[in-house]
Amino acid sequence: MAAKDSPLKQFEIDPITNIELGGYNISFTNSSFAMLITVLVITLFLTLTVNTRSIIPSRMQLISELMYNFIAQLLSDTVGDNGKRYFPFVFSLFMFVLIGNMVGMIPYQFTFTSHIIVTFALAAVVFIGVTILGFINHGIKFFTFFYIPGVPFYMHPLLIPIEVISYLSRPISLSVRLFANMLAGHTLLKVFAGFVVSMPFFTGVFPLAFIVALTGLEILIAFLQAYVFAILTCLYINDAYHLH
Amino acid sequence: MPQLNPEFFVSQLFWLAVFFTFLFVFLWRVSLPRIATVLEKRQNKIDENLSSAKELQEQAMEIEKKINDQINKAKLETDEKIKETINALQEDVSSQLSSLDKDLEKKVSDAEKEILKSKDDQMKNINNEIANITKLTVGKITDIEMSDNEINKVIETHKGSFN
Repeated sequence: MAAKDSPLKQFEIDPITNIELGGYNISFTNSSFAMLITVLVITLFLTLTVNTRSIIPSRMQLISELMYNFIAQLLSDTVGDNGKRYFPFVFSLFMFVLIGNMVGMIPYQFTFTSHIIVTFALAAVVFIGVTILGFINHGIKFFTFFYIPGVPFYMHPLLIPIEVISYLSRPISLSVRLFANMLAGHTLLKVFAGFVVSMPFFTGVFPLAFIVALTGLEILIAFLQAYVFAILTCLYINDAYHLH
Repeated sequence: MPQLNPEFFVSQLFWLAVFFTFLFVFLWRVSLPRIATVLEKRQNKIDENLSSAKELQEQAMEIEKKINDQINKAKLETDEKIKETINALQEDVSSQLSSLDKDLEKKVSDAEKEILKSKDDQMKNINNEIANITKLTVGKITDIEMSDNEINKVIETHKGSFN
């Protein structure tokens, strides 16, 4: 299979305009374009549908309200009253990942959430923010987060490193989960799309049917991963408030 | 794998920062407050309607209570009035009956008196007639002129045998 037809080719970044700032290449790329589309879709939808501010909502307004209530409920379930302050952030994160994944489902459209650097940056923002929040709330006592009460004392030399490692691996697991899901899904779609073309006669219909089914699954995963990203962020925020 | 090519890492991070910051600030400052306002307004409206419904219900219950009270009061009043009227009627009837009785008694006694009087009168007349007849009969038979006193004396002595 030639490199040109590789299933990974869809993840290649193509600059649309070349921009350089202070020696760094910050070209506006297809990835940036997908982000732009995502942000436009979110802001326009959430603004225009609620424009009338009617008490009895239109269908579109209802969708915005449902999303709002969905994340608000998620935050109040996991974090409680403290969570209200982080609602705009968690909501932005959820919508950005969700619509980013959905935009990626449009054929020929780039999926920026399939890039580890993007998901890692998002996860790092969450991780660093939550860690700072933990130190603000508990000061130096935040380190007791790694100390599990009710365990025999001789277990602590083993458990504390495990806790530290699991805490430090949070941004990695958070980012890799999203990245790997998107990567695998889109690669699989591409592989089967290649079968549609390369299989003889009408047998290409079978991989095509599979692609249709897989697209539905991918849309589900797109939502699910955004939800997982949001709910884990909520749980981490909760940990910053409530130590063991 | 293009994801691991660091060529565009800076570009990706830069544009991610730009767009995500814009999105965050825009949602935080514009979109979410709007939705929150709508939801709050709706909740207020619902609460308002609920509380006014409760108020109306309370008012309705109060009015019902008042109506029941008034009905009970009216019943009591009517009972009282009926009793009063019955009593008044009974008094009236008994007083009328007693006055009627009196009248009747008076009339009876008057009639008795009249009867007695007329009986006496008749008796007197009968005595006179007897005296006259006796006088005439005695005169015709015997040619003796009897005085009234003599005749009366005779009649008196024989009176018991007439009756």
